[in-house]
Amino acid sequence: MSKYMIVLALSLCVPLVLSFRLPLGIWRNFRALFASLALILAIFGTWDMLASRMGHWYFNPDGVCGAYIVNLPLEEWLFFIVIPFCCIFTWEALHYLKAKTK
Amino acid sequence: MKEYTLFAVISVAVAVIADFALRTRILTKPIFWLFMMVIFCFKLAVNGYLTGALIIIYNPRFFLGARLGSIPFEDFLFGFSMVTLTVIFWEYFKKKA
Repeated sequence: MSKYMIVLALSLCVPLVLSFRLPLGIWRNFRALFASLALILAIFGTWDMLASRMGHWYFNPDGVCGAYIVNLPLEEWLFFIVIPFCCIFTWEALHYLKAKTK
Repeated sequence: MKEYTLFAVISVAVAVIADFALRTRILTKPIFWLFMMVIFCFKLAVNGYLTGALIIIYNPRFFLGARLGSIPFEDFLFGFSMVTLTVIFWEYFKKKA
């Protein structure tokens, strides 16, 4: 696995498991989850494709698996799904903890 | 202004405007800023590694050059708008459902 893929896997594993174990309502609102992640992927993926094309930043072939979609590594696309999911998890988990400690 | 810097500032403005336009008003909630502090810690680890291990390399022509550790200042704005828009969309679509 590429270094970048390991970062994504480590970020996702705990939120993904706990999203099934805790009553956070993330999967119950699957349509909202899907719509949110799709929009973030579209907006920030577009920014990233343009910025990469203009040379704002580039990806070290040493850190990615080598699969590309347009001009971005597969991992960079997954980043825009994994990290927003982790954010929604954290957001709902904080509300859950707040309600529980009241 | 450097291009990445400019895009990053615009993205933060878009996120703030979206919060008002979609009436989610998350920016006015104390729990949002607690959330942002938690995310910030994870961001330092993830973004710090990706930039520190030179998996993503930035062209000095397009950003200010100011960094926190290995993380360019602009990445904090990029991260802020991505994370904030994620929660705005989530709250918006949840309420709409």
